[in-house]
Amino acid sequence: MRQAGAYSKLLSGGRSGPHALPLARIKKIMKNSSEDVKMISGEAPIVFSKACELFIEELTKRAWAMTLQGKRRTMQREDVASAVITTDIFDFLITLVSDAAHDCPAQESLQPVLEP
Amino acid sequence: MADSPGGHGVAGGSGSHESGGGGDQSPQSGVREQDRFLPIANIGRIMKKALPANGKIAKDAKDTVQECVSEFISFITSEASDKCQKEKRKTINGDDLLWAMATLGFEDYIAPLKAYLARYREGDTKGPARGADGSAKKDTIGTQLGSDAQPREQNMVGAELRARIQLPCAELISGYGGQLILVDESVTTDSGNTWPKFSSAMLAEEELLP
Repeated sequence: MRQAGAYSKLLSGGRSGPHALPLARIKKIMKNSSEDVKMISGEAPIVFSKACELFIEELTKRAWAMTLQGKRRTMQREDVASAVITTDIFDFLITLVSDAAHDCPAQESLQPVLEP
Repeated sequence: MADSPGGHGVAGGSGSHESGGGGDQSPQSGVREQDRFLPIANIGRIMKKALPANGKIAKDAKDTVQECVSEFISFITSEASDKCQKEKRKTINGDDLLWAMATLGFEDYIAPLKAYLARYREGDTKGPARGADGSAKKDTIGTQLGSDAQPREQNMVGAELRARIQLPCAELISGYGGQLILVDESVTTDSGNTWPKFSSAMLAEEELLP
């Protein structure tokens, strides 16, 4: 097979196995999210394996833009935090990254509501 | 730290120190590290793909993204779970998740996810003997076409499905014969030819979407 890492899941039709993220782990995290989550269909973790990829890509790209703004070449935690804070759909992560941000002086101006 | 509420009960919920990545989880947190996060290596790999070649990622950035992903899963799952409860269903399915993502602002993900799911479902019709690895699938196709051991109509269903899903993608392959030929190929001649074409077509489609 060519380039197993990058394309294997596409070549094999995206079934269990060559997903970029482990399905069993995704399922565990889903179950941990609430006691109401009892049953999960087989394809739900598959949806998430791709969705998480898209999510990571988007977050990374936005964080990288922050890295470049700071004229750096290495992405830091504060870049991820800034990306979260400046992106509406990532609002649900603000509490989480504010923990990461409080020890980063660069984030002072970008640290509005920490606790809802 | 200890008094910061974990938004959806997964990331940041424990009172113990959590630096992400390696460390073992203290027993009183209830949930082990490996139950709360996706593997950092996979996260790092996906992040790297999103960066230019000269881009570097500090470990603390990976750790943060790792926590964010778990929170993302919980966020979407909670919304989907609420919907299921309202509709008195017990099982969260893929469409519930798609709905939740669309509701929560991730509508850009829907199209690529639907394509991904369609590809998965299409692969699922190929027969029960699907292994965990990609090579098993290829073998299955080969035997279905080569021998009469497998029911013929199942094979036809697979081929038809393949053809149907292929139709919208056919335009993407410039200079390709056309839709009818695609159908013919998957029914009559060796489908080992068709499958990689299908994949690259889907790949092309996927890369156009985001």
